[in-house]
Amino acid sequence: MTTVAAPVSPIPFRYPSPIELELEQLAILFAQTPALAVYPARWLAIQALEGDETMLAEIESRGGSAVTAALNASLERLRASYGDELDIVIVDHRYRFVHDVATRAMIRPATPPATLSDRIDRIVTHRWFGIPIFLAVMWVVFKLTTDVAAPLVDWLDSVLSGPISRWVVALLGMVGAGGGWFESLLIDGVIAGVGGVLAFVPVLLSLYFALALLEDSGYMARAAFVMDRVMRLFGLHGKSFLPMIVGFGCSVPAIYATRTLDSRRDRILTGLLVPFMSCSARLPVYVLMAMIFFPAQAGQVIFGLYLTGIVVAVGVGALLRRTLFLRQPATPFVLELPPYRLPTLRNILRQMWERTSAFVRKAGTIILATSIVVWLLLATPVRGDGQFADTPVEQSAFAALAHAATPVFAPLGFGNWESSGALVTGLIAKEVVVGTLTQVYVGNDETATAGDPVSLSADVIEIVSGLGAAISDVLRTLPGIVGINLNATPAEPVNTGLATAIQASLATSSNGHGALAALAFLVFVLLYTPCVATLAASRHEFGLRWMLVSLLGQFAIAWLAALIVFQGGLMLGV
Amino acid sequence: MLYQILEILEQAEQPLSLAELSQRLQVEPSALEGMIAFWVRKGRLRDTSALSCGGTGAGCACNAHPQGCPFSSAGPRVIMLID
Repeated sequence: MTTVAAPVSPIPFRYPSPIELELEQLAILFAQTPALAVYPARWLAIQALEGDETMLAEIESRGGSAVTAALNASLERLRASYGDELDIVIVDHRYRFVHDVATRAMIRPATPPATLSDRIDRIVTHRWFGIPIFLAVMWVVFKLTTDVAAPLVDWLDSVLSGPISRWVVALLGMVGAGGGWFESLLIDGVIAGVGGVLAFVPVLLSLYFALALLEDSGYMARAAFVMDRVMRLFGLHGKSFLPMIVGFGCSVPAIYATRTLDSRRDRILTGLLVPFMSCSARLPVYVLMAMIFFPAQAGQVIFGLYLTGIVVAVGVGALLRRTLFLRQPATPFVLELPPYRLPTLRNILRQMWERTSAFVRKAGTIILATSIVVWLLLATPVRGDGQFADTPVEQSAFAALAHAATPVFAPLGFGNWESSGALVTGLIAKEVVVGTLTQVYVGNDETATAGDPVSLSADVIEIVSGLGAAISDVLRTLPGIVGINLNATPAEPVNTGLATAIQASLATSSNGHGALAALAFLVFVLLYTPCVATLAASRHEFGLRWMLVSLLGQFAIAWLAALIVFQGGLMLGV
Repeated sequence: MLYQILEILEQAEQPLSLAELSQRLQVEPSALEGMIAFWVRKGRLRDTSALSCGGTGAGCACNAHPQGCPFSSAGPRVIMLID
């Protein structure tokens, strides 16, 4: 605690003699100039010597040439002694004076008493405990985003593919537009594509809730502090991790956040690493595949993917630092560690709303447009005797185009046209992978229930009771985050028909090693070429050459990593 | 006083917290803020309390929020030397 000591004698304040001399002369001159009398003369002289541009202009315009000449002469004399740092000397002198006064007037304890934040920081930013705590926090975040959100995803998906689809079909039937290509566009294009992505809104809400909680509580800054050590271990600048943290949300602002780094080489290096951090757009893909293939370990799988992203980023960064970007001395920095505080509900809800609404808007623009293009390609027959909007998907233009990409993915275990096509459309935006998979497999699904006649009241009851059951499951799942099992019903894989189709497809393309192929697919999605918006940001910040490095380099790394997972798994007999 | 901030930063081997810097200089955090602001104005320090996105295009989530990117706030405030 700081306390005020006994009365102290007045302490005169004076600048160094040469400055004081010029100040006195200028103050007299200004005081004798009526046009400048509106300003306190000494204050104006100080401002002039400090180089305050506004006041210098005032002196020049009001004081006339004689005053300006005198001022310039003073500045010349002082610059001879202080160079260009005259203003720094003046300001520094004031700070020294204030510090001197404060030191004489106040008694400071040698060691300031530790606040609650300090005590928490001793553990959270501890040299050895910091990293495990960071990993534990990440673990909880991903348990929250998968296990807890799963029942709501399941419910939302059933609402979109059930009642909503039925209502659209019924409405189209009422206006005489049912059964044709327009119905197919809405059901198989818009609802399957956009709805398939929107079903994952609960997952993103959970992630944004967790991120807001970490930011608002003050932990996020500690995570950067802790990760700095890891980055330095591998020869990287700790500052690089700061844009990477932003990358957990979205790679585009993370690319722009590299502007905070000093050198262009550091900015480029970090810009190349940022897309390895798993952005929130990839989360729906992880959740879909993890819930289908690893329902009991979905949280662990997703946590592992995020961790893999960090490890690959650090590894690639270390490699680049020793080759293309030869090591430069690290420049330390000051990181604000704000005091821990209880997050406010208002702030958390605001952040959740802003981020989720950005996602929903994206679904209404780029994801909608891509879904329509995919539907058009799926609806257009290129072989067989099908007609527009009434053709088996295997005979569609989309299948024909996607087939061309399958040889690239065949060694990775997911060389089927459905996955290949979804990965290609995922270049537009990562969420589109889910939308395309839904469109492709819904088009194949003979048991789709959209057209089944069910009454409106039964639909409403289904929606409300389904929501009640989902909320009940969420509440029972919550204790599971900390290892307490209240017999929560495991969430059903998203859309049983879709799950079965994806399982069968991957089992075929991998000769019966569907789970291994799914894992390789997830690793590929984690690491492959960033979306077009990120590439555009990369080109804007670093130029075409580095954008191409990012595009091709990440594809190569993702391909190699997926190959290692699949072929390595086969060799190990997984 | 002012130069000490730059010296400490130049000699530091790991990131410092504002509280640590304030303790080393034996100045109140509020006074330190003023000193940092001075160096930022002089172009010797960079303060990243506000990261801007600048993203464009329909694919950018930031584009949906003209008032600012909702993801930018994820980064903590950093003060660093400018070479």
